Amino acid sequence: MMNGEMEQFELRLNRQPLREVPAEWREEILAAAGRASSVERRGQGRFEPSTLVSRLSTLFWPHPVAWAGLAAIWVFILGVDFSQRGAAPVVAESHSPPSVEINVEVRQQRRLLAEMLGPRETREAEQLRIFFPRPRSELRIEILTT
Amino acid sequence: MRREPELERLYDEHAQPLYAFLLNFTRHEADTHDVLQDIFVKLARKPELLDGIRDERAFLIRLAHNAAIDLIRRRGGRERTRENFAADIISPFAPAKDPDEQTFRAELAGALAELPPDQRAVVHLKLWEGLTFEQIAAALDIPQNTAASRYRYGLDKLRGRLRPLYEEMKKAE
Repeated sequence: MMNGEMEQFELRLNRQPLREVPAEWREEILAAAGRASSVERRGQGRFEPSTLVSRLSTLFWPHPVAWAGLAAIWVFILGVDFSQRGAAPVVAESHSPPSVEINVEVRQQRRLLAEMLGPRETREAEQLRIFFPRPRSELRIEILTT
Repeated sequence: MRREPELERLYDEHAQPLYAFLLNFTRHEADTHDVLQDIFVKLARKPELLDGIRDERAFLIRLAHNAAIDLIRRRGGRERTRENFAADIISPFAPAKDPDEQTFRAELAGALAELPPDQRAVVHLKLWEGLTFEQIAAALDIPQNTAASRYRYGLDKLRGRLRPLYEEMKKAE
């Protein structure tokens, strides 16, 4: 075919009208798209672990070494804390309650000490006498009389 | 989030050419419906796909082309059973009242179906969408020279296949 004939052939093809999209498809397809859009909107409000991971990585990315160091320090602190908590009950368990003989002995020693110190009121009065501020002249008289 | 009126506008402006383009590939109305719906569902789910797109038509044609190629690959087994395929086949052209014209359209539809998909896409976009080779190249993500050569090869095959009928119709006119 010559160029002119070729152009005529192209023109002939070009004039063939294409089938039209069925009118009822518009509603069907737009309804399906609308449903997909609303499902997507609902999905965006929902918590998803991947979203959390993404946000955390965005937060930590600028200084990953610093954040890792901070995390390591916290892990160390928590480790020490837990190890001490674990040791405390062992210590408490290792001390058995004092025996009856020891209790009796302690009570006797307390009684003996109380006897040596004298009545409680006297001691308290003495303490009061020592701590109350007095004029110097009175103090001098007291020294002289003793 | 792109609102539904925006989807309506996209449908009203682009559904017809996308439908014709897809029908030329699939030759099945139901498949064409499914692919066209998938495209609009995708746009509804990810409206940002069109952000920064200068030529909506070219972008949508690319989506349609990729979806059509996927569909053809998926249904490869189905298409191999030629009898079943022929029973469902639908022409991309509107029916004609004139019997000669109807015969020509049917032959043209058959000749187009025999073209490799790459050539068929370029021929369709050049002849019935009126796109330039530059636009076709952008839409199908191919070099402009490739678009031009595919068109030439495709058109030669159509001409070879339709020549007897075309000559006969020309004489009758």
